[in-house]
Amino acid sequence: MLSFVNFFLLPGIVQGSIYALGAIGITLVFAIMRYGHFAHGDLATFGAFIALAFTTMLGVSPYIALPLAVLATGVFAIGIDRLFYAHLRTMPKIITTIASFGVALMLRSFVQVVWGVNTTSYARGITRPENWFGIRVKSHELVTLLVAIALVVALHLFLTRNKWGKAMRAMSDNPDLALLSGVDNNKVIALTWIVAGGLCAASGFFLGLNTELKSLMGWNILLPTFAAAILGGVGRIEGAIVGGLIVGIAEELSVLVIPGEYKVMSAFGILLLVLLFRPTGLFRGKVL
Amino acid sequence: MTALLTMKNLRAGYGDADILFDLSIEVAKGEIVAIVGPNGAGKSTAMKSIFGLLDIRAGSIAIGETDITGWVPNRIVKAGICYVPQVKNIFSEMTVHENFEMGAFLRKGDYSAALDRVYDLFPDLRTKRKTTAGSLSGGQRQMVAMGRALMLDPQVLLLDEPTAGLSPKYMEQIFQISRDVRDSGVAILLVEQHAKQALAFADRGYVLAAGRNRHEGPGPALLADRHIAEMFLGG
Repeated sequence: MLSFVNFFLLPGIVQGSIYALGAIGITLVFAIMRYGHFAHGDLATFGAFIALAFTTMLGVSPYIALPLAVLATGVFAIGIDRLFYAHLRTMPKIITTIASFGVALMLRSFVQVVWGVNTTSYARGITRPENWFGIRVKSHELVTLLVAIALVVALHLFLTRNKWGKAMRAMSDNPDLALLSGVDNNKVIALTWIVAGGLCAASGFFLGLNTELKSLMGWNILLPTFAAAILGGVGRIEGAIVGGLIVGIAEELSVLVIPGEYKVMSAFGILLLVLLFRPTGLFRGKVL
Repeated sequence: MTALLTMKNLRAGYGDADILFDLSIEVAKGEIVAIVGPNGAGKSTAMKSIFGLLDIRAGSIAIGETDITGWVPNRIVKAGICYVPQVKNIFSEMTVHENFEMGAFLRKGDYSAALDRVYDLFPDLRTKRKTTAGSLSGGQRQMVAMGRALMLDPQVLLLDEPTAGLSPKYMEQIFQISRDVRDSGVAILLVEQHAKQALAFADRGYVLAAGRNRHEGPGPALLADRHIAEMFLGG
């Protein structure tokens, strides 16, 4: 039982919270702007490397670099939107979806030009796991879980208590009526990018912290992240969280039946099953 | 009587097609005006044209002395016109209370007085403030929609078929609430499919046909006119 928790459940939950942070962003962007944002994985890579830049330049701990990277990536995401997506707003959404593939390639190339293609990490050395009543958890895994929970709680409070958070939900619920109520579309879109971009940077950061940093890291989690968003129901934040955890745990458990290198196939399998049998996802999201 | 909302010689449509050809409508403060007419007469289109939701080719729309032709919805709301669409007129995934808060989105400062007034108008909703609006009955959803629009204290309230699909009980209730709102000094313009009931209840009415004014006058007078009754109101 303990070995199940230590070797499968806990790593699955950690990986799942990384997916969840990315999937919340994908779901939010879809809810407000109605397109799938395929640059989300590479934006996570970008965020992870920005955090690396802060740690090396300022000589601070990665945990101090994290909030800076979250903020910087959020602002950067607004810039991407203004530059590449804003003028496509009134056109069919598929055009923006394809444009986001282009942005993904640009982001990845940017990371490769600046930081190279070799793997690197935030801190050298091996972390010894703490042992709590037989449950072995590494400190960075614990931080991943706690920060992910804190971010989700903060987002929930923002969306349910804050005027602009409610405006975001209103825009997702009924865009025409939100405009008739005087909500400024452009402000809500900018806000969405701050939130989605920031969470995306956090997911990239934690992926780098728990494994290693490389230019393809974000691209590699794009499929499981989308699978998580779709499994939960596109546009549903609670769905993105549950979906992320399910995909993360399923990947770890899949090692029991298939070779570890094919882990990512389980995300693909989940995506296939959801699209075939419950295309609106667990929480009945918006239909694509 | 000076008009608060004036639509003058309006020609408007979507794309290449015109739907309104020469439409003029006036609504004064403290008055309920009903637009009735057969299907395809342009009733709802007339209302949407106020909010710039279709192309206006000629004519003008004004609130008081201010010309608002071609303004964006955001600005029109600020100018004091609130609109309750016929369908998708609530935030169905948000609570009743949050719907009203969204109605007050443009208000600065404390709006508890406006909230109280809306809950007084719709006492049924007071106990349902935490309920998700989409799970309410049709009549209650219509009340949420009207309440949302009233949160800004509009000068003019536009109602697009407010009683469509409602039971007679709720229809009467919506009419009664509209009278209360009118008596508080709001001008109400509504489009109705139930022509007879609407004319009986409105202060004045316009009968539209094929995008033009056909008849206008006090509601009861239009109802009493045999010609109009035969042509437009189904005998």
